Amino acid sequence: MTRSLCPECGLIIDAQVLIREGGVYLRKYCTEHGWHEALVSSDAEWHLNSLKYNKPGAIPHEFATTVKDGCPSDCGLCPEHQQHTCVGVIEITTRCNLVCPTCFADAGAGCDLSLAQVESMLDRFVEMEGRPEVVQISGGEPTVHPQILDILAAANARGIRCVMLNTNGIRLAQEPDFVSQLTAYRPFVYLQFDGVSTETHNALRGQDLVDVKRQALDNLAEAGLYTILVATVVQGINDHEIGDILRFGLNYPNVFGVSYQPVTYTGRCLNHHDPLNRMTVPGVLHLLEAQTDGLFRVSDFRPVPCPHPSCSATTYAYVDGEQVIPIPRLLNVDDYLDFLINSAGPVLSDQLGPALESLWSMAAVAGSEKTTGALNCVACGISIPLSSKPELKPEQFFVVNVHGFMDEHTFDLKRLMKCCIHELLPDGRAVPFCAYNNLGYRERARSRLEVEND
Amino acid sequence: MIDKAPEREIKICCATFYQSDVVRMLLGDILHPGGLELTQHLGEVITLSEKDKVLDVACGRGKSAIHLAERFGCHVTGLDYGHENVAAAENSASTRGLAYLTTFREGDAEGLPFNDGLFDAVISECSFCTFPDKATAATEMSRVLRPGGRMGLTDMTVNGTLPDDIQSLLSWVACVAGAGTPDQYIAILESAGLGDFFVEDHSSDLLSMVNDIRRKLLAVELASALGKLELGGLDLSEGKRLALRAVELIEKGLIGYTLITAKKELIQRNGTNQ
Repeated sequence: MTRSLCPECGLIIDAQVLIREGGVYLRKYCTEHGWHEALVSSDAEWHLNSLKYNKPGAIPHEFATTVKDGCPSDCGLCPEHQQHTCVGVIEITTRCNLVCPTCFADAGAGCDLSLAQVESMLDRFVEMEGRPEVVQISGGEPTVHPQILDILAAANARGIRCVMLNTNGIRLAQEPDFVSQLTAYRPFVYLQFDGVSTETHNALRGQDLVDVKRQALDNLAEAGLYTILVATVVQGINDHEIGDILRFGLNYPNVFGVSYQPVTYTGRCLNHHDPLNRMTVPGVLHLLEAQTDGLFRVSDFRPVPCPHPSCSATTYAYVDGEQVIPIPRLLNVDDYLDFLINSAGPVLSDQLGPALESLWSMAAVAGSEKTTGALNCVACGISIPLSSKPELKPEQFFVVNVHGFMDEHTFDLKRLMKCCIHELLPDGRAVPFCAYNNLGYRERARSRLEVEND
Repeated sequence: MIDKAPEREIKICCATFYQSDVVRMLLGDILHPGGLELTQHLGEVITLSEKDKVLDVACGRGKSAIHLAERFGCHVTGLDYGHENVAAAENSASTRGLAYLTTFREGDAEGLPFNDGLFDAVISECSFCTFPDKATAATEMSRVLRPGGRMGLTDMTVNGTLPDDIQSLLSWVACVAGAGTPDQYIAILESAGLGDFFVEDHSSDLLSMVNDIRRKLLAVELASALGKLELGGLDLSEGKRLALRAVELIEKGLIGYTLITAKKELIQRNGTNQ
């Protein structure tokens, strides 16, 4: 049992999790609108196995709201929330230079946050988290904000480990100078990239962006900015391009990951859908295995233990030229899940880099001292020959992540309570992403912003 | 009468273990939780100054001793059981231009090769727990302190009885099996003539250190699986298992890291002025 939403009136109602014919469904009853069912996972085995990966969350330094009406009406975070903020999302503008038919944020015309507002939100994030892990500068389209560079600088100045820039890439393609300016702030670029065909772009974004994406990637490669491709996956539209997107990413020198996000029917994306026949997290994994001839297999992925384990799946692969080896085929990743896979953002683990660096720097020390290029264990008499040249670099690891956000059909209160991706608001609250998009938080925040900032 | 032979074996093994490249690679240059930051904090708590003569018992390769000399301007004598460590410490002190403020020598914590009352302060980091005869070590550290001198320890501490599976030699080396509770340490130090205790918890530093080791084990395993590193017969699984257990035990509060400072009493317990 859990709680979900009536897809017709949005009322919070009881829901059952059912396993049927290998799939997992939410079944719920609204006294006014009757029974509804929705597919939440197309692979019951993956779902059941993933539950083993749940691990207790960490609480933030302070909560912003108190428990008044009960979950999910007190978001901010309230003391009932079970996980701190791993990824803080700041939507610095509601304006966008695209008008996508699938926009969860319903962006287009709109208004910007001021630099001072963003700065105080960042300060608040630091107050809540100590040293925040990831901030996503998002929108709307954040690159249309006139002070985007100042905002990136402000995030860097606060010691946030990873500053991500979520963008459709249009400005990056059109203005190579802007991309050069970005390099000073070293953002991780989270580039919307739904497919390799004109048809996909037309269907999802309302125009052909094939050349725009390629140009943006060329400019990013030129500038040496780390990039992750982010694909919204829609059943029957671009689900046949899951493998192509991955291969495209592997061939770009500065792309070090792909993130797939099964579409959610929120925001503007309210029309065409069948809640029983939709893309799910394991659905993407199975298609990826089929479309890459097993280059990546379902068994290479692990549920991410930090949010609810049903929400996200990740793997890393070692890439050396043509060679692509998923790490779970090299070692038992379950021993290291908290390092490699315990982050909801598909960020190249900031754990792996220092580890590899220290390994090779120690090797260099051992080699230069002993001239044998070996590590010698005096205690056990074992000598480990080791080249002193660094041969493994963090850039050689490629991350593939699938994150399933929720809509009114798949909304599951248990998942929400463990959510670690939070929208940061100008009033100091942090609202779980799927609460923000489904429960009216977005609409209320937006009308307040329009009153205050217009 | 306790048989001394196995104890000596453990001390030699301990010192040898810490000198090996593999351990240096896994632990980095700093062999105690909290690193130099905590060392400096310890120096501040016991108010080191340039007037002080300081002894660092089990100084390893001299990192902390050199850092304290550099930071506080005090003279630091470093003592270690391992021959190679002492040579390395001397070497890095002279490289850093701090040979004039430091002295390093080989010796045993349970029989300090110094006269009574020689030092203004004695410190020992992550080592007290490895001394088989803690009462003797404490008495020795107290003996070489002048009356009113300060003692500063940072060390592994436990809370209650540890599970059997970590009472192995490897975990002894990792300071766990020989550790006591903060109260036990205080009782031992008190019997050695020390008082005015101050206690501070630093378990989060221990957790960071264990996780740092796990990160490096991951890197070693990856490098080995990709054929970039030949591990020979070295089996990492025991190290991995212990590290995971350590995380679990630290998170449960069963093992931790504690800073304890004390002063040598001006008047001895028997009432006579020293």
